[in-house]
Amino acid sequence: MTSNLDAARARRSRLGATARRLGTFSAFGAPGLVLYTTFVLVPVALTIYYSLTNQNPFNPPTRFVGLANYIRLASDDDFLRALRNTALVTGIIVVTANLGGLLIALLLDRRGWLYNALRSVFFTPVVLSSVVVSVIWRAILTDDGLLNSMLRSLGVTHPPGWLSDPNLALFTLAWILTWQMVGFCVVVYLAGLQGVPVELHEAASIDGAHGLARFRHVTWPMLAPALTINTVMLLITGFKVYDQVQVITNGGPGNGTTSTIAFQVVQTAFSGNHVGYASAMATVMLLLVASVSVIVLRVLQRREVSM
Amino acid sequence: MRRIMVFGTVTLACAMALTSCAAGGSSTGQAAGKKGDVTLTFLTFETPNLNAAYWDAAIARASAKVPGVTIKKLVAPTADRTAYAKQLDASGQLPNIMIAVDSAGFAQAGKLVPWSDAQLKDFVSPQSNPINGRIYQLPYNTQPTPLVYYNKADFAAADITAPPTTYAQLLADSAALKAKGMNPFVVGGGGADTWADMYPLIAAVGTDVYAENPQWLADRSAGKVTFADPAFTKAVSKIAALTSAGYVDKAGLSRSYADDEQAFRDNKGAMYPMGSWFAASADAKKPSFDMGVFAWPSDDGRLVVPAYTGGGMSVSSTSPDTALAQKWALAFMEDKQNLDASVKSDGSIIAIKGYTPPTTMGPVYKATVDIYEKAVAANGIVNAFSIETGDGALPPGMSATTATGVQDLMTGRKTAAQFSSFLDTEWAKAKQ
Repeated sequence: MTSNLDAARARRSRLGATARRLGTFSAFGAPGLVLYTTFVLVPVALTIYYSLTNQNPFNPPTRFVGLANYIRLASDDDFLRALRNTALVTGIIVVTANLGGLLIALLLDRRGWLYNALRSVFFTPVVLSSVVVSVIWRAILTDDGLLNSMLRSLGVTHPPGWLSDPNLALFTLAWILTWQMVGFCVVVYLAGLQGVPVELHEAASIDGAHGLARFRHVTWPMLAPALTINTVMLLITGFKVYDQVQVITNGGPGNGTTSTIAFQVVQTAFSGNHVGYASAMATVMLLLVASVSVIVLRVLQRREVSM
Repeated sequence: MRRIMVFGTVTLACAMALTSCAAGGSSTGQAAGKKGDVTLTFLTFETPNLNAAYWDAAIARASAKVPGVTIKKLVAPTADRTAYAKQLDASGQLPNIMIAVDSAGFAQAGKLVPWSDAQLKDFVSPQSNPINGRIYQLPYNTQPTPLVYYNKADFAAADITAPPTTYAQLLADSAALKAKGMNPFVVGGGGADTWADMYPLIAAVGTDVYAENPQWLADRSAGKVTFADPAFTKAVSKIAALTSAGYVDKAGLSRSYADDEQAFRDNKGAMYPMGSWFAASADAKKPSFDMGVFAWPSDDGRLVVPAYTGGGMSVSSTSPDTALAQKWALAFMEDKQNLDASVKSDGSIIAIKGYTPPTTMGPVYKATVDIYEKAVAANGIVNAFSIETGDGALPPGMSATTATGVQDLMTGRKTAAQFSSFLDTEWAKAKQ
């Protein structure tokens, strides 16, 4: 009898504790949940809903069109070109920013005030507004800008049209994005490098591994989580690039030579007034980022485990 | 735990990707004018000629005439104030008063208040750019767009004694300038200023297409003509030929509008096809050379000048007090000092009855007005292609697309025929 009462008391106590934990969790979690729902989930849901309509604020009424917008996307040259450009820019910055970030991190993985200062220098572009960065680079890269003036003074009579040559402008944009993101990669790789246990290096040295061999067999495997973070963040940055395109090239020179999906979405919605169609583009972009992020994350995390 | 991390990361990625597409652009606002009972937002735009000081002073003068109004100035982040107005509208923030914003779309959707005949009685062309028979933007000034501003010293150095009056002479003069090592044309505008590449095409369409058929764009809208028709393609081929002959410096494709204007001042080219607003700037900040101006020549020497009359205020139908907003807008537009300031800063040719520009205006402005008046007398004023608003305008978004197509022409990525065909395709898309 007593043991039954004790059990009931214990059960009530456990339930009370659970309720208290739930209350505390709700109190702390609710504001965030409300904000996230209001500013992220609801807009996402609305975008998906609009993508199934022909919404044009200047040409009512809005009708439900099913998947017509998505079918049209499949043969829209402007959208497909924006998709190609986005994929190319993303591919370039994932490789170059990772590579550049790793090299710089290896060089800066030392103690001393100079290295601390240099870390700040490399990180500065990350915290700068992308519009500010774009304006600065634009001034440098116009045909009669700082870079070409310098090249001319060195005897180059016809320096490249970094922003005016349709075959070059997309790569110029990719370079600017790399420049801005490399500092982020440096910091993540530095954190990874500083987390490598000294004992592993010592053991490798005792085993006769030096230089490149030690990097390959000790450092690089230990940097796997950093590579995962950098790659996913660079993928997201690449897929959503808009500001730099708007400020530096406006999608040109020419029709869509540097337009990206995000740029195309804004143009279609706010210049052409085709909000429903632009929402379909944004939804495709959502699915792309989601699926690519999942695949890359899975592959890289599997690699982390195997290393 | 790992699944939660994967889910969290992917959700965050999706959210960042999708929310990045939302209409952004916080308005660069500031209050101007004196405190009043009704606060009205006023969308402006800034250029090298129409800077913040110009707008603040003009707002203050209008507000002094209309008590009870506090104006909150909004500045479009680029010269494309119409696109910005659409972004603001999408988030329910359409400004109460807007200047030089294309009314098309807004008016049909009932977002603007029409101006009454009584309110338009003082305007020279009160029926400019109607939409379904009503006027939504005050037609307060006329802008010949473009004329060709030129460096007299360069012309003299190339033994050109007078500006060209036929297109053949323009080609000959360009060849002469190039032979002397001078770049004939400064044309350009890259990035957000791509629109500035349009002026040679606007001129050629004026002389070759609109001069023959002033209703050409209305006919295009009705499906009676296409861009691929020989008349339009001929106009386009002139621009393609100028660039392929090396008469247009392609460096302009990467410059901002302001930098392009500066490039002409810095003598990086002998001719600068630009709207009449450049005249005021040319007089105010005199370059090191004497400047002249001529109309883009037609094949037969007939004087043809593309021009646009409009550019004034529109009032949103959702303004807290539309009558007061219209009263303030009219006060702004009809204030003599504001008009003088507009003439001095932007080279406006004011289209309000009884207005006379300041006698102190410089020689380039006077020469600009002189050409315009001669064209009016010769019945040579035509619409400015892509600048038109109202019923006879390009579909929304097509002006910007056309400007990018012009860049393709200039870089050789499109032939004239491909460009014309491209416009037909884009027209069909815009109408979908």
